[in-house]
Amino acid sequence: MTLASALPLAAVERYREIVEDRTFPTVREWRERTGRKVTGCFPVYAPIELAYAAGMLPVGLFGAGNQIEMAHADSRFQSFICSVVKSTLELAFIDRLGPFDALMFESICDPARNLASVMARNFPDRHVTYVHLPQNMTSPATVDYLTGEYRRVAGELGAVSGKAVGEEDLRSAIGAYNGLRARLRELYLLRALSPEKISTAELYTLARLATLTDPADSEPLILESVATARARESRPKDRVRVVLVGSFCEQPPLELIAAIEESGCYILDDDFLLGWRLFKRDIALEGDPFRALALAYIDGSVHLSTKHDLRQPRAASLIASARAHRADAVIFLGAKFCEPGLFDYALYRKALEHEGIPHLFLEFEEKMWMYDKIRTEVETFVESMLFT
Amino acid sequence: MTETKEIRYQGHLHELQKQLMGDYYAQLTAIATGKSDTKNAHLLIAGNPVELIRAFDMLPVFPEVNVLQLAVRKQSLPLIQKAEELGYAVDNCAYVKADVGLYLSGYQAPYGTIPKADLLLCNYVGCNVYLNWFEHLAELTGAPAVNIDIPFVRSADGEPSPGDVDFVVKQLEELIVQLENITGKSLDYKKLQRTVEYSALVGEMWAEIKDLTKRRPAPYDAYFDSVTMMAVLYCLRGTEEAVSFFEVARRELAEKAARGEGPLPEERFRVVIEGPPPWPFLRVFRDMFSRWGAVAVASTYSTVGGIWEFGFRHDPQRPLESIALHMLQYNLCNRTFLQRYDQMARYVDEWSADAVVIHSVKSCRLFSAGQGDMREYFVREREVPTLLIESDLEDPRYFSQAQLRNRIDAFFEALSQRRLTAASDAAVAAEAAR
Amino acid sequence: MRYSVGVDVGSTQTKAVLLDEDRRIVARSLVDTGAYLVRAAERAYEKALAEAGVGRGDVGYVVGTGYGRFKVAFGDDQVTEISCHAKGAWALYPNTRTVIDIGGQDTKAIKVSDRGEVLDFAMNDKCAAGSGRFLTNSAEALGMDVSAIGEKSLEAHNPVRLSTVCTIFVETDILSYLASGKKVEDILAGVHGAIGSRTVALVRRVGAESEVTFTGGVARNVGMIRSIEEKLGIRVNVSADSHYTGALGAAIFAIERMLAGAEVMA
Repeated sequence: MTLASALPLAAVERYREIVEDRTFPTVREWRERTGRKVTGCFPVYAPIELAYAAGMLPVGLFGAGNQIEMAHADSRFQSFICSVVKSTLELAFIDRLGPFDALMFESICDPARNLASVMARNFPDRHVTYVHLPQNMTSPATVDYLTGEYRRVAGELGAVSGKAVGEEDLRSAIGAYNGLRARLRELYLLRALSPEKISTAELYTLARLATLTDPADSEPLILESVATARARESRPKDRVRVVLVGSFCEQPPLELIAAIEESGCYILDDDFLLGWRLFKRDIALEGDPFRALALAYIDGSVHLSTKHDLRQPRAASLIASARAHRADAVIFLGAKFCEPGLFDYALYRKALEHEGIPHLFLEFEEKMWMYDKIRTEVETFVESMLFT
Repeated sequence: MTETKEIRYQGHLHELQKQLMGDYYAQLTAIATGKSDTKNAHLLIAGNPVELIRAFDMLPVFPEVNVLQLAVRKQSLPLIQKAEELGYAVDNCAYVKADVGLYLSGYQAPYGTIPKADLLLCNYVGCNVYLNWFEHLAELTGAPAVNIDIPFVRSADGEPSPGDVDFVVKQLEELIVQLENITGKSLDYKKLQRTVEYSALVGEMWAEIKDLTKRRPAPYDAYFDSVTMMAVLYCLRGTEEAVSFFEVARRELAEKAARGEGPLPEERFRVVIEGPPPWPFLRVFRDMFSRWGAVAVASTYSTVGGIWEFGFRHDPQRPLESIALHMLQYNLCNRTFLQRYDQMARYVDEWSADAVVIHSVKSCRLFSAGQGDMREYFVREREVPTLLIESDLEDPRYFSQAQLRNRIDAFFEALSQRRLTAASDAAVAAEAAR
Repeated sequence: MRYSVGVDVGSTQTKAVLLDEDRRIVARSLVDTGAYLVRAAERAYEKALAEAGVGRGDVGYVVGTGYGRFKVAFGDDQVTEISCHAKGAWALYPNTRTVIDIGGQDTKAIKVSDRGEVLDFAMNDKCAAGSGRFLTNSAEALGMDVSAIGEKSLEAHNPVRLSTVCTIFVETDILSYLASGKKVEDILAGVHGAIGSRTVALVRRVGAESEVTFTGGVARNVGMIRSIEEKLGIRVNVSADSHYTGALGAAIFAIERMLAGAEVMA
């Protein structure tokens, strides 16, 4: 399957089928083409460069969306556990994780941590790597620790792929993903400046596709898409300008994203797929690349719900984003049972009220199938914004 | 079924515990009401550096202990609801919500008044909600806050790497500087060694006490009765009072064991209990087991703040390293879910248990997420009868008495019936052999 | 002749079964539970006695079961409905190794020994209901009688997918489907499919060993039987006495205890 086409945006419907296909067609195709191995990366943030440097393809593993019916995993994880944890395990039970040689989990929340254990016990043939991302952002010792942790993870992945990760390998992997992230930033910037030129459903599809493909393929594709979209002749509509937050881990169905837009919103900023575009700027290519990657997480990342940086209030970056995007409102779109997101909401709400920024609280599940209720809520909210 | 009446053990250790905890809360109240200028740090139960806090003559404050007592007194719900009005979700940990509610109510609890923190010391030991909790307290109260990062166990053998230990020790050294700034005193290293030695002594005695429940009958219930000792173990560890308390506890419980006394007139089932208790219904919940003659011989909940029964001791010769090891490796929270399976399997084997009971609490996903798999492991891989039941540790709205009792009764009914059948089969076989 | 009786006080209906010493069913009775559990138990008991033409003095032992088992004031003992359904299903089908019971509030899967003892059981967790109540609410949302929905669901050609197994939100789902013009039978097939999936997930927890016996009131619903059989890939036993299974099990416990007591006396 080749992804590049003359007018990549015209193919967005096909991309949409790819991103919703839980047989992972692009991943299987990549394996066959290259003969190399694949690491599945559970959200929120995984140091994907380490896998790429080990000659593997890092792939975003965001559960099963609304594509499968849960039959096994909900006997392992209780009803009060979020869907993405269960559906990722379900994919393993129904043998959909065949294209993945290793899985990477990170210390993002308690259920994800236990999932790493349950996955390892039930599927001992697939390597499970657990990454402990540090939470002390003020200690000078933290960067040394994380540099060491990345070396350890690189060692594990190298053992799976059969290719040890050297500094030069990592530098070139960082270069590849710097390129991809730069394109994603351009994509986001285009939407922020001209939301009439590219819908969030399109933007999301492209960004999601990048989590399922080699950056060598996805980077040019996004570059071309941005150029195509920029050339579109579209008139801005009378819509409510919103910043959306809360969907950094479990991902809402594409139809839901579209439904929110169609209900009268321009989404100017969001935290979808955030771990794949975490850094504010390119990661340095000089010096020790493991250290550069560690420093980027500690000091160069955008706001992340699962990173507890006591140097600034939790809502500061949300407020800054709403101001920078001249947003009329904030939509909190949180995954059901997602504790980190739901905790943040309490602090967001306080800050938004203090700043006088209206907001709407919505809850979703990746496995949801009908959007009537959310659509009504958004429409009502939009009406209240436009007519008052 | 014959109702088994429980014998309430009311030895000296209960009296002493009440007195010590009363004194502790009186000290906190004195700070809160301006009658004492002792400094305090709020910190969390799972693997913590309380020895350092004590070495600076500061007092530790444990939000978990504060809120669980509110639940026991059936006062948690209005506080939880107060937090929910602020935007906290129904699905957020109710410990955090109750603590937020308590703060908003002026930190006034029936057992004392909680002082505002001089330092919010978040020992991030496994539980990610700890991070949210202290971040929220920092924003609500404006108190200075620091996260101590404890790398989670990642190696196959459960050992931290030398780099992990170094990292924690360095953070503890930075913490010492912060504590020096707060108290205006420099660290008295000898005193630190002494507090660490107190912890070592307490750890030794606690391990001996845990060993006593290997006997038949177990002299005390390792789930419900352990709670009494855990209060002192956590709130007063690193003090001389804790050492004296554990001397009394060890002596009393050893004497009970020697007399062949247990918490029930008859010990019919020996169980391992996993998960925190439903604090708002502790009494009712305990009775559901007592009436079947079921006694906990071991519990994972009693290892949240440290696992001493398998040999770990603090070391006064290496105070910071041993505190770091305690935080990294020797507490339930910083170990993997699968290490917990092994811990429980050891309890089943070495403490001769008949069954496993998993109490799944919604609030604490560190404990509960994936316990269906744990049940699967014990039933299928180890062939141990295992019961999974659900409620909550703080929120009374998740406790369904009829449903819990139904499941607990069915479980012990089945165990009793199989025991009877096995006995009658054995009798028939013996008859046939004759 | 000494008789034994099992009384099953459930959330909606109370059942009684009266056995003779040879464990033959002499009488069975069913009354609505209503608000007064003690009276419901009493009425079901009286009704069974009347049907058998047996006086209270001829009854040697009574076991209460179900949620209201402690409300069987005249009972000699109480046993949970989990043990009773296992025992009752085993009595009806001696090769039973797995029991499925879908009750008003609870769904359970029970693994049974060759002597009718409970080896393991799994029940729905607190909020993922997927129980009989879900069917009742669905029927109400469609303005149908709950006894008719199983049959109707078999007419489906394009079953819908429900986004919930929550008994509260199912009505919203159903109304949305009705509004979008879906056929009633397709919606009902979706409803039965959703509960079937939850039930089979529970069965997997204890291991789906053949034979499987489906007990409880919902076992009369042909749509549920079909859904469970399709998902399990095997046939399940369903007795005409399915909703008396709990009471039957209780009556067998009663007879066993009566005989054991007699031995002790002797």
